[in-house]
Amino acid sequence: MEFTPPEINLLIVAPVLIIMAAGSLGMVIDLFMPDGKKGWAVWLAAIGLLLALAQNIALWNGNYETFIPQNGVAMVVMDNFAIFLNATFLLTGLLVIPLSRSYLQRTGLEKPEYYMLLLFSISGMMLMGMANDLILVFLALEVLSIPLYIMCGMLWPRPESEESAMKYFLLGAFSSAIFVFGIALVYGATTTTAIPLIFDAVAANGLNAMIVTGLAFLMVGAGFKVAAVPFHMWTPDVYEGAPTPVTAFMSVGAKIAGFAALLRVLMLALPQASGEWVTAVAVLSTLTLIIGNVVAIRQGNIKRMLAYSSIAHAGYILIAVAAAADNPSAGVSSALFYMFAYLFTNLGAFGMVIALERNYGEGNLLDDFKGLAKRHPWLSLAMAYFMLSLTGIPPTGGFSAKFYVFGAAIEAELYWLVLIGVITSVISGYYYLRVVYLMYMFDGEGQLITGRALQFAVFVMAISTLVLGLFPEGLFNLTAEATLSATRLLAGG
Amino acid sequence: MTGEQFVFLAVSGLTIVAGILVVTLRNLFHAALAMMLSFLGVAGIYIMLGAGFLAAAQLLIYIGAISILIIFAIMLTRRMMQAQDTPFNSQAGAGLVTAVLSFILLVFVITRLWRNEIFDSPPEVPTAIMNQIVVQLGSDFVSPGAYVIPFIVASMLLLAALIGAVYVAWPQVEDEA
Amino acid sequence: MDNPIIVDYLPIFMLLLVALFFALLLPALSLLLGPKRSPKNAAPHKYIAYESGMAAIGEAQRRLPVKFYRIAVLFILFDVDIILLVPWAVTFRNLGFYGLAVMGVFMFLFILGDVWVWKKGILEWE
Repeated sequence: MEFTPPEINLLIVAPVLIIMAAGSLGMVIDLFMPDGKKGWAVWLAAIGLLLALAQNIALWNGNYETFIPQNGVAMVVMDNFAIFLNATFLLTGLLVIPLSRSYLQRTGLEKPEYYMLLLFSISGMMLMGMANDLILVFLALEVLSIPLYIMCGMLWPRPESEESAMKYFLLGAFSSAIFVFGIALVYGATTTTAIPLIFDAVAANGLNAMIVTGLAFLMVGAGFKVAAVPFHMWTPDVYEGAPTPVTAFMSVGAKIAGFAALLRVLMLALPQASGEWVTAVAVLSTLTLIIGNVVAIRQGNIKRMLAYSSIAHAGYILIAVAAAADNPSAGVSSALFYMFAYLFTNLGAFGMVIALERNYGEGNLLDDFKGLAKRHPWLSLAMAYFMLSLTGIPPTGGFSAKFYVFGAAIEAELYWLVLIGVITSVISGYYYLRVVYLMYMFDGEGQLITGRALQFAVFVMAISTLVLGLFPEGLFNLTAEATLSATRLLAGG
Repeated sequence: MTGEQFVFLAVSGLTIVAGILVVTLRNLFHAALAMMLSFLGVAGIYIMLGAGFLAAAQLLIYIGAISILIIFAIMLTRRMMQAQDTPFNSQAGAGLVTAVLSFILLVFVITRLWRNEIFDSPPEVPTAIMNQIVVQLGSDFVSPGAYVIPFIVASMLLLAALIGAVYVAWPQVEDEA
Repeated sequence: MDNPIIVDYLPIFMLLLVALFFALLLPALSLLLGPKRSPKNAAPHKYIAYESGMAAIGEAQRRLPVKFYRIAVLFILFDVDIILLVPWAVTFRNLGFYGLAVMGVFMFLFILGDVWVWKKGILEWE
């Protein structure tokens, strides 16, 4: 058999290659470093993430495709959609590192393995955004999940951490199996796993029961990853038991990656089935919004409360996904905007939770926030601001994000979904603002343990949230461009 | 009944019966052995589908390695070898209902499509490729025209899994906290 | 026997049957030919595990140390790597330097993991 090595352009996949290489390089350095030295891993991870981010931004507007198979469809695409998501994931990593440092030191977790697993997980998330083939989507899902399973259980032999890892692993493996089954059904019906070819096959032969069933399985699998109700059961326990920086990383990175997979499948592979999936997404969204926000009220533990809050925010993003059925450009771009704003706000809130946690599992109660405003006025102000942003009160990034999402939904005539979104936002105000109330109106013993890195990161996130609240147009134009490049096919077909 | 039908019934019967044994046997160790039998049946189905290499992979990985790992895991859990607990909990009924409903759904979906173009004429695989399926797979693994990215990503996945698997079973507890 | 696949794999099927036959035959023979005594009449020490004449200590089914698990995990990873290596090895001459380079990356990552495990003392048996 003749074999000619084709032309390949590694620069296109360089962002993800840099992350993978940094992770592997960490293992190499780990072989030669004495056990006592641990500081290098932070710098390796940070430099890797920065380099990847720079290369990633340099590819903007390139619309590259690489690794073209014989059938003319690329395995990965570097359209603006992928680049935007990559930037989101890389920023998540860059912000999680300063947040984790002092926490890791006081819980004895500061090991190179932590940073390597973080990098591997980020590389999986990035592949998820770039994947143009369901096989790669699945592999990316696994590459992002397996390090997360381990990171949840890194504080073994403490039972909460082990429980967290075990629950996440079992349900994650189960949902991956469902996802693969969905891929198999779609493959069976269309004889391809390439996303554009699935689109073509549906355009040529129409939908059938097998594709729709496969789509349902894919949605269930992705629903587990983004913690949409009724696939959210694992979330509170896993978020509570995992080391807090891992929870922060998971609640942002894994969720956005799950939505990346969902958007690729729904919008690029099977937009012709939108009549089928829009109802399902709307129902999921309604359930997620109501259960996430209502149950969050009853939580006394801040990590559990933020777990339910992250479930609720998945519901808001699902509104945008539902809107994308009718109005792809507004729906997808508002989902991207929401995820980007959510990244800063949620990581900022988790930064404060990390600072408040004296030791693993100590200082996680809402009552521990009492009286913080007197001792740490600036950080308390930042926390209050993040809470306002999560509620969606202007001028915050959270408000702009909700504004765009609801706007897209109104354009798509999903009025009742918007109504539920607004009502649940008001409900969410109760539990978010209670944190502010506790901080400012009570006396308490709570102490924050902050390093300069953590303060800087929280400061950056507060400023970013403010900027997104005051000047959202700049980012919105970027998300619109990102959407445009991904839905090019849709407009043409 | 043709020979093919006979072999298919035997192989699928083995898979299903062993699969039912896995979830109903009270002794976990016996359940693990039944699972190996079920894996063997799946390998037989792969062979009947013409995927001999996949069957070899199934034998090597699932029966040769994963089952062994599961048996080790049972043996390093205290008193698991003698465990006689019932394998069902209070949600067994709900699980059964879900399983039956999913089964009906899948049977419905697949049989409805039985007569349409997808199943009527499965895509022709050229004999040249069919005879050299492993060679084709080898060049697909490394070729940028096919699966080189998934291939490298898979090796990344194995590396991450290696770190993780070793980390959860680290030799001594480092008590620095 | 119309299907060529079944004809191809017939010897393996026969082998399985022969193995099954022997596995059943030997216990059956020992049941048939062995001395038949009622278990009720047997002396109690007949039920003790045979330890070369020594008194048996503890139970036969002990809890295994976790190091067996670590070895088994490494074994799985080696197995998966073999499966991925075989197709390449069958045709590596055709794939030329490019194929070697891709496999080099793959093997680098794999060997890196193994060296890391070795250096971290996971393989030590004490």
